[in-house]
Order: sequence, then structure tokens, then C-alpha cells
Amino acid sequence: MTALLLAAALAGQVDATGVHRAVAAQKGRPVLVNLWATWCAPCVEEFPTLVALARDRKDVAVVSISIDDSSDRKAVETFVARQDPPFPVYLKANGDDEAFIDGVDREWSGVVPVTLIFDRSGKRVALLQGEHSKAEIEKALEEAKR
Amino acid sequence: MPTAALTLAAALAAATSGSLNVGDKLVPFSLKDYAGKSVDLKAFDGKKAVVLMFIATECPVSNAYNDRMAALAKDYSAKGVAIVGINANRAEDTSRIAEHAKQHGLEFPILKDVDNLQADRFGAQVTPETFVFDNSWTLRYHGRIDDNQKGDNIQNQDLRNALEAVLAGKEIAVKETKAFGCTIKRVQK
Repeated sequence: MTALLLAAALAGQVDATGVHRAVAAQKGRPVLVNLWATWCAPCVEEFPTLVALARDRKDVAVVSISIDDSSDRKAVETFVARQDPPFPVYLKANGDDEAFIDGVDREWSGVVPVTLIFDRSGKRVALLQGEHSKAEIEKALEEAKR
Repeated sequence: MPTAALTLAAALAAATSGSLNVGDKLVPFSLKDYAGKSVDLKAFDGKKAVVLMFIATECPVSNAYNDRMAALAKDYSAKGVAIVGINANRAEDTSRIAEHAKQHGLEFPILKDVDNLQADRFGAQVTPETFVFDNSWTLRYHGRIDDNQKGDNIQNQDLRNALEAVLAGKEIAVKETKAFGCTIKRVQK
């Protein structure tokens, strides 16, 4: 059973194009993309906030991407299985980190956690670098709905 | 406007704009090191280059680079380059920085950026994040140390490449890079 849970924990690996593809697949409602890592304490602290937000807000799609090295996949799977998020969690594909950062968003410094919010048309309308509270993320989501 | 005035204007702009861009001049500043001794960057006038690195004691990414930072300082101090660490994290006090430096053999000066004033001035966001200045305090490179956090598959030695170019009086091929890192934990202002 544990093995099944762990196997189901991750949605797959994505490069920057895959991140945008995951956003585009949700067209029609705002999308919140959160990038994080198991080694990042603020990310680990923020994760339950995103889980709570996703449970509260069915009108918003949440996509989560771990930027952990693929050699740390087991740690990511274990963390995600414990959190049981109602949204897909991807692992960053192997490749150049800088190309990934710029490919996701040129304005992103590389700091994690980072939350990007896209409006219904797929336009990125907010870039929240660093840890943010549920209220701050909800405020940005409200602005995305305008 | 005369060149000197332009240079001063650029330096002042860089000092107040909240970020330092490649080509900007730094006005050297003073900070205390972890032993409480005031270190004035002007003391490094005459060095061929100065590397300022925003680092941390508790960040796994910064810590993954401890050995590489120590090696960098060893390799380049002999070549006339000053390596200086800056810790701007609000929760990492000087005693912890001292203990961490000793534990990891970081023999270069590490300055405490109280209230993250310099981190704000530089626009530094993560640890580790490096800034390379030439002998006229012009920012020549900004970004990562290399392209592999774990250090087992480094393809680009960006910081070393930048230093070699500065030492050789050549143009730096890649002047800015990005990398994943831990947020600099700033004070609330």
C-alpha cells in the first residue's frame, strides 16, 4: 500500500515547456503554479497552505513542481505522499537550472518557493517570490480573476 | 555631463536603486565581520578583483558550496583576488557565522549585513549569489558559482570563468547567470 501511495505521489517530470503546457491544459480558470524543494524550509512550511487553499478553492487550478534534483526523487515522493495534496506534483526534469528558471519566467530570480499566478487566458499576472501567506496568495488570485 | 559626474551619478543610482547591474560602479562600504571588526572594502583597493558572495549558514544550497567557496578563496587569493562573504540573513548571528566558518574552513572574511541593507542595495535574492568587481569597482559578473548544486556534474564554472577573464583583461563571456537558492531572510521593514 505504501509503495502504491509513493508511486502515485508524482505526476511526472517536466521541463519549462512542460510547466507552461500544464498551465495551458487548465485554460478557463486561474492557475497557481508553485515551485519548491524539499531542502527549502520555507517551501516545506508553505506547502500545507497550498493544500488548504486548493481544498477551499475549486475555482483555481493548482500545479506544483518540485525543483529537487531527480536523485532526491524518493524524498520528494515521501513528502508529497504525507501531504496528500489535491493537485498534481511534478518533478523538474534534469537539465540546466538557469534555462529552466528563464523558461518558466524570465523575471524569476531562482528563489524558492515561488508562486506564479496565471489568469483564465493563461497570462501570468502575479509572481510571488519567497514564502507567502494564504491571504497574500488569495489576494493575488482575486486580482487574477478581474 | 562630464564623465566623472556621469560615473558618480551612476554610482549613486546603483547605491539607491535597489539593485546593482553589470557595468554599475560600487561605492565601497564598511561592515563588521563576525568577530566584530569593521571591514572597509576600500582596504581591497589595488586587488585585481573582489568577489562578494551572499552566503548563509543554514541554507542547504549555500552549504553545498562550502568546499567550493573555500577552494575558490585558496586558489584566487594568490592571484590578487579578494573573496568576501556577506551574511544578510536576519536569524543568523555573528556567533553562528563564526562557528560555521570554522567548521567549514571558510578562511575568507565574512561580513554581517545587519538589516540586510547591502542585500537590498545589491538586489541580492538568494544564497549563494555572487558579485565580481574589477579593480575599478565595476560590477563585471553577477550570479551563480557554477551550474551544479551537488558539485558532481559541473559543466560551467561561471564564477571561475568570470575571474579568469577579469584577470586576463578579457571580456567575460557570460556576465549574468541564475541559479536556485534559498531566500535571503530579510528583516521586516
